[in-house]
Amino acid sequence: MTIAARARGPRRFKPAYALTAAIALLAAGIAISAYQDRIFRAQQVREVTVQGEILAASVTAALVFGDAKTVQEHVSALQINPEIEAAGVYGDKKAIVASFVRPGQEPLPRTAPDRSIAVRGRRSMILVPVTQDRAPLGTVYIRTIDEPLSRRLTRHAAVMLLAVMAAVLMAFMGTSQRTLREANRQLEARALALAETNSLLQNEMEERSKAEDALRQSQKMEAVGHLSGGIAHDFNNLLAIIQGNLHLLKTLGGDDPSAMRTYVDGAGEAVDRAGHLVRRLLAFSRRQPLSPRSVDLGELATGMKDLIVQSVGGRVRIEWELNATGKTLCDVNQMENVILNLAINARDAMPDGGTLTIETKDCFVPVGDLGGEVTPGEYIGLYVRDTGTGMTDDVRKRAVDPFFTTKPHGQGTGLGLSMAFGFIRQSDGYLNIETTPGKGTTIAILLRRHCAAESREAV
Amino acid sequence: MSSGALTRRLLRPIALTVLLAAIPAHGADRSLEYAVKATFLYKFASFVEWPQGSFARESSPFNLCVVGPDPFAGRIQEAVSGQNVGRHPIVLRQLARAERQSDCHVMFISGSANQSVAEALEAVSGTATLTVTDSAIGPTAGIMHFVIVDDRVSFDIDNAAAARNRLVISSKLLALGRRVNVARPGNEP
Repeated sequence: MTIAARARGPRRFKPAYALTAAIALLAAGIAISAYQDRIFRAQQVREVTVQGEILAASVTAALVFGDAKTVQEHVSALQINPEIEAAGVYGDKKAIVASFVRPGQEPLPRTAPDRSIAVRGRRSMILVPVTQDRAPLGTVYIRTIDEPLSRRLTRHAAVMLLAVMAAVLMAFMGTSQRTLREANRQLEARALALAETNSLLQNEMEERSKAEDALRQSQKMEAVGHLSGGIAHDFNNLLAIIQGNLHLLKTLGGDDPSAMRTYVDGAGEAVDRAGHLVRRLLAFSRRQPLSPRSVDLGELATGMKDLIVQSVGGRVRIEWELNATGKTLCDVNQMENVILNLAINARDAMPDGGTLTIETKDCFVPVGDLGGEVTPGEYIGLYVRDTGTGMTDDVRKRAVDPFFTTKPHGQGTGLGLSMAFGFIRQSDGYLNIETTPGKGTTIAILLRRHCAAESREAV
Repeated sequence: MSSGALTRRLLRPIALTVLLAAIPAHGADRSLEYAVKATFLYKFASFVEWPQGSFARESSPFNLCVVGPDPFAGRIQEAVSGQNVGRHPIVLRQLARAERQSDCHVMFISGSANQSVAEALEAVSGTATLTVTDSAIGPTAGIMHFVIVDDRVSFDIDNAAAARNRLVISSKLLALGRRVNVARPGNEP
């Protein structure tokens, strides 16, 4: 739009301007020629007048002493000048004394003419008085030639040629300008089309981003469903325990207070465990921004023991090596999600059973360690280690890509590691995958040690 | 001087004849011939420069003298009446003899028993006098010497003699002379 608007600005060159300029140039050329012609004629008249004056001065004595022959000699000498068509000298009685006329031209007047007499064509008539001691002796008459058209044209050829060339140039510029404008217009059209395509592409990208968000959300819900599906069995068991205890209470414990308490306690414990489970689920599915708090990863992991045991199932032995003493700063709910996800991944990597190790420890990264990728300093390390199938190099490289999964369709979302990676990076930490195919995988997480943790916690 | 010489060289061939239309010089019509000569006498003055001091004042008369018998029979008086040379009125004087003190600007010498033409010329030699003689009277020539060529009045000019008399003759006039003797004798072809 702006391009088009600029192109249609007031300074646009129109072919009409070129035409006008060309005509103006031609007119100027003609004017210059006319002016030059006038100057030329004036100069011609001046030159011939000077020759006439010379003649007048030369013939005084001859006129005084009536030497017509000498006068004729002087007059004839003017024939050398091709500009002169006819010349003559008249005596004091206005009678012609001597003259010459070029062949084919009009003869001289019989008596001395005066200045009022007009000459035909482009000829000029020059009259010069002959005087001796201020006394008039006669008149010199000179008529210039009627300059042929061809000669005049030759004289003006240079100027006219220049004017015509300039006009042609202007016309050429006009046409080329037109071509240029056409090309510009096409370019504009192309630019507009491109801009349109661009905006379409942008829209598409936005749509796609929205779709991705929706997909991610649905994947998450799927994960929730998956998780809850695994947990439903436990929940049912808990309900069965409650129901069993209540049934025993109703049928057997009516008279025995100690038995009654045992049943009620059993039911209550099951209710507590169920409530705990529900809260975990809610925490997992809730969408909330990160709210980092000072966290003891060991405590966090300990709190998740039940959930993890439930999630990984009985075929996997779990070892806890919670040795970290420091705290770190992160969002608790997200961190729990990460640990749960990693545990589930570990379980899936060990379909035939194995050992899952969850370890925390204090780490110090010196300068240049870990390939220099990690900012040196004090960290809390969290390691989730399995003895499963491990990953090939190719899989390891893509492991944190969103939606990348090696699990069968319907089981993995491909978001677990991706979300974990994203969250750890967001929390200013590092996530590293060490794996050996056939031996197992260790996911190592480094989070900065949080020093002011105690005071914050006390509040 | 070189321009004068050039003009002379260019124009000498044509200047061999100088004429006045329809002036036959037959004996029967000598009166017309002398009328022309009378006119020439004062017309020469326009083309001759006299040395400084030749005229006492601007209005001093221009003296045209005839020495010896007058062949013009009053035609000079006719010709010069009312004429001026520059601002000087022309005064005609008849003299019997030419003297050094004659104070004539133009002197026509006809010669007489009393004083021959040559004697008269000798008398005014060195004075600012334009001497005029006539071939019809004798071969002795002054500065200007009337001759008849093709029935027309012409003249020879002795420019050397003019220079001796401190006169400068215009090249225009020199161009008309039939024969012109230049200022340095020996140069004349």
